[in-house]
Amino acid sequence: MSGFTPSEPVDVRHYMSEYFRLERWEIPSADGDEGLSEFGGRVPLDPHHRGAGGGMRTGVLLTNVDSVGGFLAGLSVLPRWTVTTSLMATVTRLDHRGPLRLHGRVLRRGRNSVVAGLTVADEGRGDVLVAAATGTFAVLDPGDMRLEFPRPATVPMPPPMADTPLPEAFFRIDPGVGTTTRLELADHLRNPWGILHGGAVAVLVDVAACRAAASTGAGPVTVEGLAAADTVLHYLRPVRVGPVEARCSVVGGPPGRALVRVAVHDLGAEDRLVSLASVVVLEV
Amino acid sequence: MAVGGYPPATHFLGDLGFRSEVLSDTSAKGLTRVSPHVAGADGGARAGVVATLVDVVGGMLGVRILRPDWMATADLTVQLVRPATGPCIEARVELVRRGRTTMVLEAVVVNVDEDGTEVLGGGGASEPVAWCTTTFAILTGGNRTTTEELPFDLPSTMEIGGAGLKRSLAETLGISVMDAAAGRVSLPVRPYVHNSIGAVQGGAMALLGDLAATEALGAATGLGPAGMVVTDLQVAYLALGRVGPIVTAATVLDGGGVPAGGGGPDRVVGPGAASAVVELVDTGAGDRLCTVIDARGMPVSAFTPPAVSVAAAP
Repeated sequence: MSGFTPSEPVDVRHYMSEYFRLERWEIPSADGDEGLSEFGGRVPLDPHHRGAGGGMRTGVLLTNVDSVGGFLAGLSVLPRWTVTTSLMATVTRLDHRGPLRLHGRVLRRGRNSVVAGLTVADEGRGDVLVAAATGTFAVLDPGDMRLEFPRPATVPMPPPMADTPLPEAFFRIDPGVGTTTRLELADHLRNPWGILHGGAVAVLVDVAACRAAASTGAGPVTVEGLAAADTVLHYLRPVRVGPVEARCSVVGGPPGRALVRVAVHDLGAEDRLVSLASVVVLEV
Repeated sequence: MAVGGYPPATHFLGDLGFRSEVLSDTSAKGLTRVSPHVAGADGGARAGVVATLVDVVGGMLGVRILRPDWMATADLTVQLVRPATGPCIEARVELVRRGRTTMVLEAVVVNVDEDGTEVLGGGGASEPVAWCTTTFAILTGGNRTTTEELPFDLPSTMEIGGAGLKRSLAETLGISVMDAAAGRVSLPVRPYVHNSIGAVQGGAMALLGDLAATEALGAATGLGPAGMVVTDLQVAYLALGRVGPIVTAATVLDGGGVPAGGGGPDRVVGPGAASAVVELVDTGAGDRLCTVIDARGMPVSAFTPPAVSVAAAP
């Protein structure tokens, strides 16, 4: 198995943050504590994040969306916190120039869940909107996790990593073709709860769907000519053991567009279903 | 037959007409007829109608799974992959996960004949027309169904039938277009569109978002609503729409297409490149945001050809 291996003692948040280089900033509500904050984010279009369309790969984009939405949702329910339960995203352009700027706001804050609406604008194209997403986050007791943030909360953009690997290597996704794609659960892919980071699932689903569309197509289409776009992703159960397997079936679609259903299983946890997704794969 | 007295005798669900069957403790199926009154520009049932079917059949299964608890639809997605031209469409719903506070279902939708026989594609293969998911929030207690209405014996069947539609569903619901380019359409709230707790039924909200997106994307691309098919709906239900009218507003995302007249209609938007975010507010309740829908549309010409290339089913 080849892939990225951290050379220093692993701090998951450190590696994930440096890999994605997402800058985030809280936008306090105009009426102070009575209102809910909004959140901004900006991410450069680094070469290793570019996909077949020339812009940011959708799995990477979803990870950034999840990071902004998750921070926003978590702060809205302090001293409790949240975990992502679903992401629904529509992605209209795959040829971003970047940087991409994200904006998130709380649409609904309930007792058990928070719903956030997010948009993505391409600064390199005059701030046109290129994606929109809705995230749902379940409210939970954070236990011993330390949740103290200077407010308004900010996370600066980390500098570029040296010799940055492609997502397949960083996320320990096995090389291959076909309708099944596997990810090894390395320690640097665990989030602060000790489970597989949701962004890793998003990238896995992206890669697996494109491979499946390429392998089942009737035409001479290779995975290099395909890119994931609209994605619906339900996080059903935490991934604790691994390896993780994404099993795909192509539902159908008009020429140049395939809808792929992706079921993600934790092989080390009695093969249980941990995520269910659908991905629109486009010829680019 | 109604469940818990719902829907009443005069209701849009009855006029659409549904026949559903709970097959097991984790699966159900249900169908509705495709008529010109529920069709979009591609001649198939609108995504909003497919959403209504999935919501109804999923609800039938959910009521059984969750008893004595009740549920409310939290989100719903519909992704059409080919025109849902019928004669009927059938949703085959399966339980994915039941948690403490939510339940997730998925559904495959296929074209079927009146008797439920699947309309197969070339070579006799099954050809789904849509894949859908729905999440229900579990509401502790509150299940008012009786054992007579919802017997434990399987399979259990239910039919909802009314007078039928005499004109388009949009007209029947009283939906009016206020500003096509802005995606502003309006739905009056009356018992005809109520859900079991007196707010606008989730399928009607999805249909309203479908129509708003069709207008906005049709205007943005220059194709008009007759040239645009909404294929994908990602619906987040945030609050009940009780007072009305429910009014929409759409924000069109950049699809990278060439404006109409500059490159021909097929280049206005690519195969996957026309989306809008539609917000539905209850204007009678202080413009409360009730639902947000991310909707994708395609030109009719790009959606209707036979599926080939990467779309070929395994």
